[in-house]
Amino acid sequence: MRGISKSFPGVRALDGVSLSVNAGDVHFLLGQNGAGKSTLIRILYGAQHPDAGEVLVDGRHVRLHTPADARALGIAVIFQEFSLVPYLNLAQNIFLGREPRGRLPGTIDHKTMHAEARRLLDMLGVQLETHALAHELGVAQQQVVEIAKALSQRARILVMDEPTAALSDHEIDRLFAQIRALRASGVAVIYISHRLQEIAAIGDRVTVLRDGKNVATMAAADAKLPDLVHLMIGRQVDVVYREQFYDRPGDVVLDVSGLTAENGIDNASLTVHAGEVVGLAGLVGAGRSELARAIFGADRVTGGSVRLNGRLLGRGPVRSVRAGLGLVPENRKTEGLALTRSVEDNVLLAGIRKLFPSGWYCARAAATVARDVVSRLRVATPSIARLTRYLSGGNQQKVVIGKWLTAGSRFFIFDEPTRGIDVGAKAEIYGVMSSLVADGAAVLMISSELPEVVAVCDRAYVMRDKRIVGELQRHELSEANILRSAMHHE
Amino acid sequence: MNKVPGAAYLLAILVVVFAIFGSGFATAANLLNIGVQSSVLLLLALPMTLIIMSEGLDLSMGAVLSFAGVVLATMLMKEYRLVTALLAAVSVGLAFGVANGLLVVTLGLPPFVATLGTLGVAQGLALVMSGGQSVVGIGDALPALYAREPAGVPFAIWMATGAFVVFHLAFRYTRLGSYVSALGGNREALVLAGVRANLYHVGVYALGGVMAGFAALLLTGRMSAGHPTAAIGLEFDAVAAVIVGGTSFERGKGTLGGTLVGVLTIGVLKNGLNVLEVPSSLQVASIGVLVIVALVLDSIVQAIATRRRGVRTA
Amino acid sequence: MKTLAYRVVALAAIGIALTFATDVFFTSGNLLNVLRQASLTFLIASGLTLTILTAGLDLSVGANVGLSACLAATVMKSTDSIALGVVAGLGFGALVGALNGLMVTLLKLPPFIATYGMLWTLNGVTYWFMGGETIHGFAPGFRSLGTGYWHGVPIPVYVMAAFLAVGGVFTRYTTFGQEVYAIGANREAARLSGVPVRARLNLVYILSGAMAGLAAIVYLARLNSAEADIGEPLTLPAIAAVLIGGTSLFGGIGSLTGTLVGALTLTLVVNGMNLLAVDANWQPLVTGVIVILAVLIDVMTRQRAEARV
Repeated sequence: MRGISKSFPGVRALDGVSLSVNAGDVHFLLGQNGAGKSTLIRILYGAQHPDAGEVLVDGRHVRLHTPADARALGIAVIFQEFSLVPYLNLAQNIFLGREPRGRLPGTIDHKTMHAEARRLLDMLGVQLETHALAHELGVAQQQVVEIAKALSQRARILVMDEPTAALSDHEIDRLFAQIRALRASGVAVIYISHRLQEIAAIGDRVTVLRDGKNVATMAAADAKLPDLVHLMIGRQVDVVYREQFYDRPGDVVLDVSGLTAENGIDNASLTVHAGEVVGLAGLVGAGRSELARAIFGADRVTGGSVRLNGRLLGRGPVRSVRAGLGLVPENRKTEGLALTRSVEDNVLLAGIRKLFPSGWYCARAAATVARDVVSRLRVATPSIARLTRYLSGGNQQKVVIGKWLTAGSRFFIFDEPTRGIDVGAKAEIYGVMSSLVADGAAVLMISSELPEVVAVCDRAYVMRDKRIVGELQRHELSEANILRSAMHHE
Repeated sequence: MNKVPGAAYLLAILVVVFAIFGSGFATAANLLNIGVQSSVLLLLALPMTLIIMSEGLDLSMGAVLSFAGVVLATMLMKEYRLVTALLAAVSVGLAFGVANGLLVVTLGLPPFVATLGTLGVAQGLALVMSGGQSVVGIGDALPALYAREPAGVPFAIWMATGAFVVFHLAFRYTRLGSYVSALGGNREALVLAGVRANLYHVGVYALGGVMAGFAALLLTGRMSAGHPTAAIGLEFDAVAAVIVGGTSFERGKGTLGGTLVGVLTIGVLKNGLNVLEVPSSLQVASIGVLVIVALVLDSIVQAIATRRRGVRTA
Repeated sequence: MKTLAYRVVALAAIGIALTFATDVFFTSGNLLNVLRQASLTFLIASGLTLTILTAGLDLSVGANVGLSACLAATVMKSTDSIALGVVAGLGFGALVGALNGLMVTLLKLPPFIATYGMLWTLNGVTYWFMGGETIHGFAPGFRSLGTGYWHGVPIPVYVMAAFLAVGGVFTRYTTFGQEVYAIGANREAARLSGVPVRARLNLVYILSGAMAGLAAIVYLARLNSAEADIGEPLTLPAIAAVLIGGTSLFGGIGSLTGTLVGALTLTLVVNGMNLLAVDANWQPLVTGVIVILAVLIDVMTRQRAEARV
């Protein structure tokens, strides 16, 4: 792929990106969320058209108008969300849309289909029954079926998106064996993953994308992990993060002990004091959002306890909110806001029963409160009646924060608060966080941007594989230290 | 296809209970009667299975059947040939089916509301064309056909069985089965595989309309008249049969065999309750309860399965 | 608010067209009749509006009205007490609503299929309960609730106005109302904001059922008789009224005022058809087409809004 550029309204997703992949290579594609990886891949398999640039396969220019074109050229993609149909059997899934013809027109030759499926699965070294239904399989097995599906398309370029995200160590080993077999047969694999430690295991080459640009390409042997992380995240210079840190934090506000939840969190314990910004760091998939949701009660807790100001917190978001907890979710558009409603309505929602305990909603009082919060947070909107869907990312985030302000929350959980937000708004959000804790509130902040964690937090916990594996005090807080704890090996 | 649908056990229990407590239930004549009574329902329930598997619903089938029946009867009354009249009825059904499909697939209307609307349209047309009365005097051709009993088995059962065989073969041996399941289970997968998903999606609704047309043949034959409101509520029985037979709304799960069991279950239930002299209105209520129970059981089973597998995180 | 104005204009346009089309339309007798009829539709549609606002649906309202009316009538006749009958009707309607609510919140069934099953169950029970009989002949005092006038205006209109006022206040000036809209607009965001979603949904369905019960009482008073099939033709017009009034099936958008406009519009259309001597058999067809058009507008509005971001 040469010089690929692609813009969407308001954002330049790709800027002259070139990517060159050789046969029989496992080529890692790294980058933060939003760096442009997904867009690049979508262009590769024909779901999107670039504004500029060209794609060459075997040195020849190709036109990829539709996924069918890509497939015909031997390009196959395995997504994170699998494209299997739950109630069809494995053979049907593998050959969906390309079923072998039977003797009568319109019929399917089941025998051939299953025999072929059997052959592919055997090649990948799995014992699955071709008549098994897709939904009966575990995640790792479904992935193998996806690989078989790609193989059946005679793929020569296989793109794998976060393939090991939900696999156990044992399953990962088997996957790597399969990938090595593919590599040996000349298939080129483009491997997208946040688990940098995997590069050493099966990587041949590495490309790093950041902010829509290709910032580095190198051989895997030359790739040093801290360098890679720097390349992915880059340095934000000239942004003042926090004005002062408090040496003497107040009492314990949040006390999480032995928390275990349905979403996979296992025996997590942490504390946050008044006036602190505590970071929750780790690589993608480490379980930080799950921990936040478990603490907030958004997902079901099966063991352990959460105490807010010494008092045991009951189950569920209703009780958490009433006790003064606020969650600013990662997906602000789908979980934090009602896009079809106004700024005013969104800002008031969490605090509505605190502000109007009698149940009577006074529009005028509500508007006053809303305007107050909007001005305090400097939300850029022509009026509080504007629908939140028309606001910029940064302002939408402010509305979500404002929601918790009106609810009178004293403890905030921020999940990737500055993702997808421009630098100016970022600084404003840090300012808000500072003033919150200066006021005696406490903040737990999840962030994948290491410089952000180092510069904003008083302390940080590091997570890995759904467990808390380390705690770093202020003087120990550095990107290197975080990475060391966050990764699989030292 | 090796698994026995849970509904089969329910059916067996019902048959045993009614055989014990209902005198005259377990006779060949009565069982044949159940088959005849269920045949119209089966013709509707077969395409309804496909529609529900594709995450949709067609509430207009009963009304479309009524309208097709009125058309059929009117044409027979005007002494058209049976074949011509049947063609007209099926075309009417097809038109409504395609309309439903376009509303749901192309325009993106929620299926239950879209088909609720076409229900009104079909019902209205049936009433207008018939003037609100039964259309009688349809001649002898159709009643004679209906009364025939090749090999001692009534025509209705032949037709229903034939439909079932055709559907089953198509479902299993052509791409129809896989694609319909994909429409409900993972539509994006189908689109990504390069299949014209929209075509198949509209197709299932069109199929529903066509079968309503054929069902009109049976119903009109049975009543020897075309009645504009005869088939009201039949779509509910069809939905009930499909759900009881184990087809689900959201995952593309379903089998035609299950629907057959579901249809027979309803037939047996109604007939058995009749034999026990339970008023017919309560029969309808009991089917409603049956549907709710089936849905509840399905959701409980789903919840247990998800909990056992654990929640998958990204 | 803007779209509501358009709908009112459309309503007025239909009214004007009918005034020119036939002399009988713009007479006090006819208009009051229209108002009376619209009130009944509105009462049923108001509870339905609440459920649709939460991105749900209650298809069983018509059948609920039918059974509640028959139940109320039976109680009135056997106990000779109007009050007891009213309580029975209202109570039963609310009970049905509660059951619907439980199916949606506890069993997590999709609302349209749960209430569809309930619809047929209620239908069957109604037929069995009435055993093919009709109950008629109620006290004149009670009947005036449905047929009487007060200061020249039919009484059901006052009931409707009262309910519009109460309902309007409820949806716009209570925290409950705000939460209902929030749940419809984005259920998960509402849940994560501390809104007790299941409790609110249960209450919404109970209210929908209770309103059906109330409508049943007024309907009973108007018809002065109860038989098994009175509920059957009620569901489709109720849904039509809500949709015409601008409430979106996707939740979060709409109002009771809109439903009122919708009920009036639908009643005007039917009234027009009657006055112009159009065969009554055309009515289900017209209603069906209106429903389809209304939903189409709903879907297109939503798509256009999403594209504009």
